[in-house]
Amino acid sequence: MSKRVLSALLAAAMLLSMAACNKEEKAPETENQTPAENTTTEKPAESEGKEEKPEISGTMKAIATSENYVTLFDKFTAETGVKVELLSMSSGDVLSKLRAEGGTPSADLWFGGGIDAFMSAKEDDLLEPVTFEAASEIDPQFRDPDGCWYSKGLTIVGFLLNDKLMEELNLEQPATWEDLTDPSYQGEIIMSNPAISGTNYAAVNSLLQAKGEEAGWEFFNALNENIAYYAKRGSDPKNKVIADEFAIGITYLDDTITALKEDYDVTIVYPEDGIPWIPDGVACFKNAENVEAAKYFIEWLFSNDENLQLLAEIDQKTSIKLIKPSLEGVELDYSPDILMELDLSKFGSMRESILAQFETLMGDKAVNE
Amino acid sequence: MNKPNKPFEKKTNGLKRERASSDALFFGKRSFSGPFSGRELAGYAVDRLLLAVILGSVCLFVLYPLLCIAFRSFNGKDGTFTLANYGETWAQYGTSLWNSIFVGVLSAFFCTIFSVSAALVVSTRRGWMKLLCMGILLVTMVSPPFVASLAYIQLYGRRGWITHGLLGLSWNPYNKWGVILMQSVSFVPMNALFLNGILAKIDGDSIKAARDLGASPASILRDIVLPQMKPGILVCLLLSFIRSLADYGTPVIIGGRFSTIASDIYYQLTGYANLEKASVLNMFLLLPSIGAFFLYRRLLRQSDALVQSSRGKQEQLQLRLGKCGLLGGLIGLASGLFFVMMILQYACIFSTGFIKVSKTGNRFTLQYLRQLLKTDLNTMGRSVLYALIVSLVGTLFAMIFSYYMERRKVPLRQGFDCLVTLPYMLPGTCFGIGYILAFNHPPLKLTGTALIVLANMLFKQLPTCTKICSATLKQVPLAQERAVHDLGGGQMAVLRDVILPGLRPAFLSCFSYNFSSSMTTAGAILFLIDPARKLAVFKLFDAVYTGDYAVASLIATLIILIVLAVEALVYWITGKAAKPRVS
Repeated sequence: MSKRVLSALLAAAMLLSMAACNKEEKAPETENQTPAENTTTEKPAESEGKEEKPEISGTMKAIATSENYVTLFDKFTAETGVKVELLSMSSGDVLSKLRAEGGTPSADLWFGGGIDAFMSAKEDDLLEPVTFEAASEIDPQFRDPDGCWYSKGLTIVGFLLNDKLMEELNLEQPATWEDLTDPSYQGEIIMSNPAISGTNYAAVNSLLQAKGEEAGWEFFNALNENIAYYAKRGSDPKNKVIADEFAIGITYLDDTITALKEDYDVTIVYPEDGIPWIPDGVACFKNAENVEAAKYFIEWLFSNDENLQLLAEIDQKTSIKLIKPSLEGVELDYSPDILMELDLSKFGSMRESILAQFETLMGDKAVNE
Repeated sequence: MNKPNKPFEKKTNGLKRERASSDALFFGKRSFSGPFSGRELAGYAVDRLLLAVILGSVCLFVLYPLLCIAFRSFNGKDGTFTLANYGETWAQYGTSLWNSIFVGVLSAFFCTIFSVSAALVVSTRRGWMKLLCMGILLVTMVSPPFVASLAYIQLYGRRGWITHGLLGLSWNPYNKWGVILMQSVSFVPMNALFLNGILAKIDGDSIKAARDLGASPASILRDIVLPQMKPGILVCLLLSFIRSLADYGTPVIIGGRFSTIASDIYYQLTGYANLEKASVLNMFLLLPSIGAFFLYRRLLRQSDALVQSSRGKQEQLQLRLGKCGLLGGLIGLASGLFFVMMILQYACIFSTGFIKVSKTGNRFTLQYLRQLLKTDLNTMGRSVLYALIVSLVGTLFAMIFSYYMERRKVPLRQGFDCLVTLPYMLPGTCFGIGYILAFNHPPLKLTGTALIVLANMLFKQLPTCTKICSATLKQVPLAQERAVHDLGGGQMAVLRDVILPGLRPAFLSCFSYNFSSSMTTAGAILFLIDPARKLAVFKLFDAVYTGDYAVASLIATLIILIVLAVEALVYWITGKAAKPRVS
């Protein structure tokens, strides 16, 4: 106990001394409150002397893509005393909500979702920049240069096949993206609408980058002939394939998909001509009530390997190793060579024009129906 | 608000009765030329205050958010006023408007056929068949979002248990016909229960008279029963049409490449976060909705006279559908089809939660139930609490509102009646966005509070309740009201002694509707919910989103059970309370 208090005091002293070199976010009068703050939360100071902890308290409201992250946030609560309330929402809905709120966000932290939504939010000036020391260990392409968003992993895209249907319909197993345009698959492929699913947007953007505009759109026109319809929810391709509704789904791949093999006759295909991918974002909302807690959460997450290991376990993906190469305890379970080469900056800038063109492409078929 | 007045009015009723009726008439008819006492003045003040509160809150919680949406539709790139959004959106989604109307008309038509048939079967049958059908209607009235569409795919999908497994068909259900079928059956329970209430009030004497005069059952059905149901049928048509226009869940899940304005709105919000285009689409959607509303009012006025004259004691409808010829046969067929579909659909929902799919075959499991019970059930408690608040306040609000609209010459009556219907005409997500736009700045900063969620539910569900109350009110004879006035009762006495008791059947329908809707609403509050105040339906949402259908089905089952339990309780309580009145 006394050891804890001592270390807490030590941390407080360190805080005081570092307050001077801190940015303007720390008002001078808060220095006086630090001892009191420390006795109430009584958090154990991190062993590394470089750790600096802003006073954070209260409740942090987080919007995440899934409620599964609750164990990670529980750990955060245990270490900082900040309670976390979690709400799951798709990234498109988050963006709509943010825009409607007009700068009065009702949450503090945005955890998970395709990076294209984060890029749009940054463009609208809805995100608060966060900087911290460990950020330098993150591969620069997986963080915003201004610190408005960070990537917490990669979502990779491949095919999920329903073995029963493939056999029944006498279909060859597709090995590449190009294979999917074979007329024999007509009406048997399902993918999500790229405007709604970050995963499928990644597929479209990546393939257009890889094949070049002209060949790329030719490919999607041919693929469109085989697509039954574009689902309006991101998880639909997976769900429809395991429900025996469609033979081939274009979907995200992670360990949850691998686990499907236990109960369903499905095959996972990593396309040989390259795997599209998209970073998964994390950011904090500008003007949020408890913005300090959200900022510290991001720092906390990336500064401690233990937290990232827990994250990898919840996400059931190992791609965090690519984000922070110095991370220990997580090994990538695929070779990074299979990933397509991408210019991530084009994810944001090309979004509108790509989706507009995609809509006309999809519409053509809808009329023929 | 009117509580303090109640004892006083009861006491004075007797006194007033003896007074010259002219005084009472002045008060009753509200022409204030003559002298009147302070007590009457107080009654008048309460009456006016009540009206002001009702209309004021409608303006604040309906008109203002809708104006915010309308305003947003003219918002240019840098905050300037522009009409460009309209041209652009029309070019992009003009065809969806026709899709919406097409689906809306067909869904309303089929839904009404199903509803009328089901209501007639429930009203004319006796014994276990009646109980069974009534039970199915009550259970299926609770329709948790998404799971019905998922069950539809399980049953009638490309590999559906029925279509593929049983009939060996390989058809594609992901198109407009799937949407129409799904909407037609899912709106029926509410409509059928409502029509059943109307049928219970049909004058038994005229049926007896017709039979004595030698009318066949078929002609009784055609010439007496169906015409008397006309206002109810109109309400069904209108509500189903509008509900279909605003329904985005069904086209999103089973529409395939087919899209309606409502699903385009979802698409614009979720895919592009384009509030401007979504707002414009809302404006488009209002055109057919408001058109339908005014058509409905016109038709309803024509049929009013017919219903007001017909009132008898409540009794079992004496009609044998089996003897009603071709029409009776069709009614039997439609209702049979509907009930079988409903049994299959709900059996599918209930069983999914207990089935573990594996390569070796499906087997029974309690694993998902344990998984569900492990997660926090606080959200369920909060859902019930919110639903109770909304049901009580909302139902009372609807009763008083419909009284002022139907029986009093309130200025701008038509306008308010239409205004209150508007939230029903928009997809829930938009009404939610409207609330955020309206209430995100002081002094009206409500975002993140419970109040905004409660208000949103209440006003989203108000249109249905006011329609039910208005239709029921038409069956409360004006003569009773006049009698109260003649006996010296004021407006409050009318409200208390005639209107509210007369609305008792409506109270039950409204309460049930409010409660089950509040428990199952997702779209409207998706954007309003605060992370610290989650509702059960969000667990469901989350489970559906991640594809965890077993858990989603269990949550849905739990919600259905809770709603049924609460409804049974309310039925029991009001039944007890009403008994002394009957004698």
